[in-house]
Amino acid sequence: MKSIAFGQFYPANSPLHKLDPRIKVILTVLYIVCSFLCKNLLSFALLALSAILLILCGRVPIRIVLRGLRPVLIILAFTALLNIFWTKGEQLLFAWKFIEIYAEGLYAAVFMMVRIATLIIGTGMLLTYTTTPIALTDALEDLLSPLKKLKVPVHEFAMMMTIALRFIPLLSEETEKIMTAQKARGADFSSGGLIQRAKALIPILIPLFVSAFNRAGDLATAMECRCYHGGEGRTRMHVRHVRLVDFIPLLLVLLLGASLIFLNVLGIGFSMK
Amino acid sequence: MAEIKLENLSYFHGKDTPYEIKALDTINLTIPSGMITGLIGHTGSGKSTLVQMLNGILRPHEGRVLLDGQDIWEKQKNIRSVRFRVGLVMQYPEYQLFEETVYKDIAFGPKNMGLGEEEIRVRVEESVRFAGLSPELLQKSPFDLSGGEKRRAAIAGIIAMRPDVLVLDEPAAGLDPRGREAIFSNLVKYHEESGNTVVIVSHSMEDMARYCDNLIVMNEGKIVMQGDRDYVFSRSNQLTEVGLDIPQVTKLMLILKEQGIDVDGGIYTVDQALERILSIYRKSL
Repeated sequence: MKSIAFGQFYPANSPLHKLDPRIKVILTVLYIVCSFLCKNLLSFALLALSAILLILCGRVPIRIVLRGLRPVLIILAFTALLNIFWTKGEQLLFAWKFIEIYAEGLYAAVFMMVRIATLIIGTGMLLTYTTTPIALTDALEDLLSPLKKLKVPVHEFAMMMTIALRFIPLLSEETEKIMTAQKARGADFSSGGLIQRAKALIPILIPLFVSAFNRAGDLATAMECRCYHGGEGRTRMHVRHVRLVDFIPLLLVLLLGASLIFLNVLGIGFSMK
Repeated sequence: MAEIKLENLSYFHGKDTPYEIKALDTINLTIPSGMITGLIGHTGSGKSTLVQMLNGILRPHEGRVLLDGQDIWEKQKNIRSVRFRVGLVMQYPEYQLFEETVYKDIAFGPKNMGLGEEEIRVRVEESVRFAGLSPELLQKSPFDLSGGEKRRAAIAGIIAMRPDVLVLDEPAAGLDPRGREAIFSNLVKYHEESGNTVVIVSHSMEDMARYCDNLIVMNEGKIVMQGDRDYVFSRSNQLTEVGLDIPQVTKLMLILKEQGIDVDGGIYTVDQALERILSIYRKSL
């Protein structure tokens, strides 16, 4: 249970940690766009370089970043294989019976892997590793606040998200406790067929739901006791102000996008269609 | 009679991570059978971790847990049978209740042991009596019980497995004085009638002094002291060092003794003190 690292925030003192979370959300969107702009060897090389620079800027140990890539390893391997075997091109490298491998396929495989890896590293470095979940929901609330004019309850959604995030570690701790208690009564979660295993979860799920509802009720009472009544007229304890320096990263990402397009046009080396 | 022995036992929280903490540090311990043993220690001293070793919920990283001389982890498949022999009541056990009726909930353990309906019925009724729960509650939903009743129902759920050793982690935490009293007096009664070993974890010196024959004091994952009450409470300096204290009434008796009044240090409950003071008072009349 403890291995479920949720909100993999990595505390460190880095320029990325200090950057305004709203800017970081915008940067993430732009960075994702950038990664889809790449078409050829040079632009993918630049993209990979930018991901490495991001890791250095965020001062997150490379080991932790790589661990974040582990869950997508299967997807990476799968896309690579698909691209190697199914891309048809002009330069045939290898043929055996029905298997044909083209140079284009190999390039496409590498490019797709770089793209997926940089997407994960980029969003990770800009958001999950360097921004606390709470700061992130605050930022989303700010960025979506124009929707309030259309009567979308933005604040309420953000509050729900904050509470949900806060409850995740609590619930996982509780699950562990209940599991231990039921194990002490001889419950067995790891043997038997599918139906038996599903049945074995009942003694965990019921107490978990009961306590989650109780907690939710208590929280609602506590919030009402402090006169919480939704977003209207509510101010923040920490008001964030965007500084001029916060725009520098935005400029840098725009510059990255522009150079990627430029490199695509140059068309040196292999280029994807 | 089952005897539990721990040999050079060590356990780490977050093993092989940068946050590794030594929770238990080379513990050597024998829990005497047929007695009520109290395990005392400050918050974070490792007592809850230690009790989870006794029934194989946690596996020690170093050392062995011996139940009647047999290493409980020798045959890993048999660990469930160890859990039936050493019954563990966790902290705040009322959160484990899940069945439709109290009866079914108490029957959960015996059912996992593969017992027949009739045997289960006998055990449920017996354990309800031991836990001091009124039998009318058996057909109610466990979620309709009061806090103290839920606690007792959860304890009955462990007793129903007829464990040789009953281990309770802070059984009276968060209960009012009457609830505490009810839990402990029922435990003493259970101990006297069944003759089984009982291990109680607590940080309340008052409760420990009152109900336990044998005391184990823990601090920072190590055993600091082990012995009977007189032995442990006569070392009040050592207890203070590890953030514990002797019972208030014992402290009072020591002060009285310093003033030249003829009371001894071996008084741990208000009742004992009352008796002693009254007898001195009567003599002086």
